Amino acid sequence: MVGNHNSFRTPLGRVRFLGAARLGAEDNWMLRVSSAALIPLTIAFVWLVLSLLHKDYNGVRAELGEPIPAIVLLLFIVFGAYHMQIGMRSIILDYLHGQAREWALIANSFFATALGLACVYATLRIGFI
Amino acid sequence: MAASKPTSTQPVQRPLSPHLGIYRFTLTMAMSIVHRITGAGLYIGVLLLAWFLIAASMDASAFATFSWFIQSIVGRILLFGFTWALLHHMLGGVRHFIWDMGHGLDHPGREYLAQATLIGGIALTIIVWIIGYIVR
Repeated sequence: MVGNHNSFRTPLGRVRFLGAARLGAEDNWMLRVSSAALIPLTIAFVWLVLSLLHKDYNGVRAELGEPIPAIVLLLFIVFGAYHMQIGMRSIILDYLHGQAREWALIANSFFATALGLACVYATLRIGFI
Repeated sequence: MAASKPTSTQPVQRPLSPHLGIYRFTLTMAMSIVHRITGAGLYIGVLLLAWFLIAASMDASAFATFSWFIQSIVGRILLFGFTWALLHHMLGGVRHFIWDMGHGLDHPGREYLAQATLIGGIALTIIVWIIGYIVR
């Protein structure tokens, strides 16, 4: 590709919209969209944890079984898992190269998805079982 | 111009951007690095939240194991670190939003923002922990 001078495409045309991870400005924008959601959600989350701090097993389950705390927690988890996946991806793209980068990107995707889904499942199970 | 013409076998040797080592320490630089470190820390730290939620969704003994850990010295230190990382990273996000709006990029402005992030993060963490210990 680099040495191909027979193509009519200019070097700029070949790389345009590809970005570092072929995602271009999408990652940058979605990181900000999710962080906008996470600012109020983080405050609500800290508030929620403070209210859970001195509760026992039954007290915690009763509190998280209520709709508002559960919804706040679910939103925090979903936006948080999404935000942390994009954030870690930008760290990986900055510091890792070649094969290590590919494996790290895959591991990042698995970790963020698994962690997010596990937390969502656990929260729903507290509320419904 | 003619000297640096690319050939198909040899890529052009362009100068690389200098990295961290050559720069003088500044607070704005430190806050940028700390923002990334706290982000990576939170990435690992949310495992505590996952453990808490999964334990609470299982049974009383699983929850008791988590409670024992989080009340231990190590657990408290981790939770304190998590609190600070979360609040510092949140304020760092607010700072980025202010910059995105085109404010606070001038000389005293960006220094004040960096100081506000650092002091605000520590202050909020201490306030949250005081509330945590006092309010029952």
